[in-house]
Amino acid sequence: MKLDIIRQRPFWWLISSLFIVASLIGMVISWQQLGAPLRPGLDFAGGTRIQIVRDCTQADCTAPIDSADVRALLAQQGLETGVIQVAGDDGQSVSIRTRNLDVDEESTLRSALATTFGPLDNQSTQIDSVGPVIGQQLFASGLIALIVAFAGIVIYLSVRFQLDYALLAIVALLHDVVITMGLFAWLGLLLQVEVNSLFIVALLTIVGFSVNDTVVIYDRIRENIKLHPERHINDLVDDGVNQTLTRSINTSLTTILLLVAIVLFGGETLKFFALALITGFLAGAYSSIFVASTLLAWWRVQSGQAIAGLPEAGQPVEETP
Amino acid sequence: MGKQRLLLAMIFGLAIAAIVLISATPTRLGLDLRGGTQLTLQVETTEKIPTLTETDLEAVQRVISDRVNELGVSETSVQILGQNQLLVQLPGVSDPEQAQRVLGETAQLEFRSQRPETNQQFQIENQILQQHQLELLTLQQAAETGNQSLLNATTADPDNTPVPAELEQQIQSVQTAIRESNRAIRELFAPAALTGERLTDAYAQPRQGGNQWEVVLDFDAAGGNQFAELSRNVAGTGRSLGIFLDNRLISAPTVDVRYAETGITGGAVISGNFDAEGASDLAIQLRGGALPLPVAVVETRTVGPTLGQDSIRRSLYAAIVGLVLVLIFMAVYYRLPGVLADIALVVYALLTFAAFNAFGVTLTLPGIAGFILSIGMAVDANVLIFERTREELRSGKTLYRSVESGFYRAFSSILDSNVTTLIACAALFWFGAGLVKGFALTLAIGVVISLFTAVTCSRTLLFVSLGLPQFRKPELFCPGLSTTAPSNS
Repeated sequence: MKLDIIRQRPFWWLISSLFIVASLIGMVISWQQLGAPLRPGLDFAGGTRIQIVRDCTQADCTAPIDSADVRALLAQQGLETGVIQVAGDDGQSVSIRTRNLDVDEESTLRSALATTFGPLDNQSTQIDSVGPVIGQQLFASGLIALIVAFAGIVIYLSVRFQLDYALLAIVALLHDVVITMGLFAWLGLLLQVEVNSLFIVALLTIVGFSVNDTVVIYDRIRENIKLHPERHINDLVDDGVNQTLTRSINTSLTTILLLVAIVLFGGETLKFFALALITGFLAGAYSSIFVASTLLAWWRVQSGQAIAGLPEAGQPVEETP
Repeated sequence: MGKQRLLLAMIFGLAIAAIVLISATPTRLGLDLRGGTQLTLQVETTEKIPTLTETDLEAVQRVISDRVNELGVSETSVQILGQNQLLVQLPGVSDPEQAQRVLGETAQLEFRSQRPETNQQFQIENQILQQHQLELLTLQQAAETGNQSLLNATTADPDNTPVPAELEQQIQSVQTAIRESNRAIRELFAPAALTGERLTDAYAQPRQGGNQWEVVLDFDAAGGNQFAELSRNVAGTGRSLGIFLDNRLISAPTVDVRYAETGITGGAVISGNFDAEGASDLAIQLRGGALPLPVAVVETRTVGPTLGQDSIRRSLYAAIVGLVLVLIFMAVYYRLPGVLADIALVVYALLTFAAFNAFGVTLTLPGIAGFILSIGMAVDANVLIFERTREELRSGKTLYRSVESGFYRAFSSILDSNVTTLIACAALFWFGAGLVKGFALTLAIGVVISLFTAVTCSRTLLFVSLGLPQFRKPELFCPGLSTTAPSNS
């Protein structure tokens, strides 16, 4: 199999553009409905989440917990806006998310839950309470980490390669990040999926991994340019991509095997984390193969460096016998 | 070949050392895996102290540590986080209510005079309190050592041998009793006449003519006057001047009759029964308690122990299934080099896990995810090398030279890709919070170790096996290679 990626460039770019536009639309709708491009989870929005499990050795577990009962209980506490989710085996567990509660409110709510649905299994309780200060802090630190990572990658690649490689690699990275965010914007709109600090971790991992793919391809293109300075950049890029294609596919495949294992076995917390990574890695593999490489060829042609071996103006031309 | 053999011996030595290390040292698990409560406290500034210094934070940390110790939980930790926060970890605590209450209160130092006609009651209450405290100490020791004999010596019923859960209940009831008793003592004192806000300094000094120590308190002008007044009132009456820290009586000195006229002026000296350490501890407490810095609980995260165990089990499954899938894929696709890379990958997993234990990395759920992902990175290096080797084979090079240039040529890609990942890790580690840091650290350790195992380790294994004639077959490296290609054998 040999890909003729330079000739098929409009097609590959079209696919990417469609995905990016869909992602941006998702984020814009989300912005209008929720006031944020993605549905912010507890970590960013602040609030309290209490997850309790009935202790079935003592409690009456014949019927699942009825969310209407929980709703009524919340209303008594003045917490009508709380989000209720019944989960666990046979609906014996319930997760409640409310605004940020102070100690008194929290303990009142918990004892009310214990009297109504209990006895509860204290060993399986999970309580997360995040104040608004921390929410902003987590968000800001995540954003700074993302920006610093981008800057660090640009600097490293400019030193190891050239500035145009570095900037185009960043374009490819943004492509992956935007598409991953877009998917979660839509998931947030359609399935109420929220993003938390793990999502920022996922984005940064995507950045780290997909820059890998791009670097490997660029590395090969650079090597090809060195070996055949007389050839046109389009051909060299075509060769470079095809030479590294098996590697790109195999590496993505092995990583995705690991992620699928996390999705299947990794538990609730890590599921969406792994889903974000799978999306990002797929987008990353795509953008490295079809976007980063073709952008480089396009840019080199545009800037008149299509053939690296051409002597630059003003330099003495080597004599050829 | 001798050098390769030596390297091979070294690699297996390392692998065995790793296994020994893993089995000998316990893995430190984060609270999200072992269960417990984690609180983030924000130290707030006041008008008097508009900017926080490190000393301020350390003073608050000391007060908080003392309070955490009062909770009777083992293996707690209180760390300073950034410019104005403290991270408190309470393993095994699945009901954070008490902790939230105790830690959220402002540290408050108060001087109160004892109410008249309460001397006898005060003595009784004090005895009760001391008894409770002794009891608590014994119970905690019993809980720690599991030694029941200590307990039996102090409890009335010698046949009573409580199981740990009962022991815990007893500890809790004694703690409740201590709180009750503290409250009862507090009732015997008049409301605060002087608070720690007026305290400018507190330090320990040796007492003249003896090996005992005392604690000197300095007040500002208004505080000095208030203290003189306070001490004059109780001087010679036998009533004490109660010094309360966070509503707990920490010292109750009586004032000598000679101060009945003027009161104690120019600061105070607490001369209890102190040794050097006790005096300096009290001075620290007073200084800390005197800092009127409000503390707010801004984040609590509690994970029940059962949930933590569940997470461990699930991520273990995920890691094993993921690893096995990758091992199978490599062996099927890359044949002999794939099998060798698999060995290198197992060595990688062992070394990385040993490194976590050796560096004392606390393993969290995202940390495990980072570890699983770093397996992908380790494999990538081998994929790059083997693809390159196949390419060289197809271009007609000999087996030995193909393998050699496969490693040589792929190295620049491997280096660049690993460095960029490390850059992302560094950004996460420096700017990320708690859980994010754990992920960055495990991924970074994994990437560095994978550079060693995927390059040095698999290279050594390959060259050693190339030394054996039965492995020197190009078709073991690249299926479907045309038979006309020259081979090394």
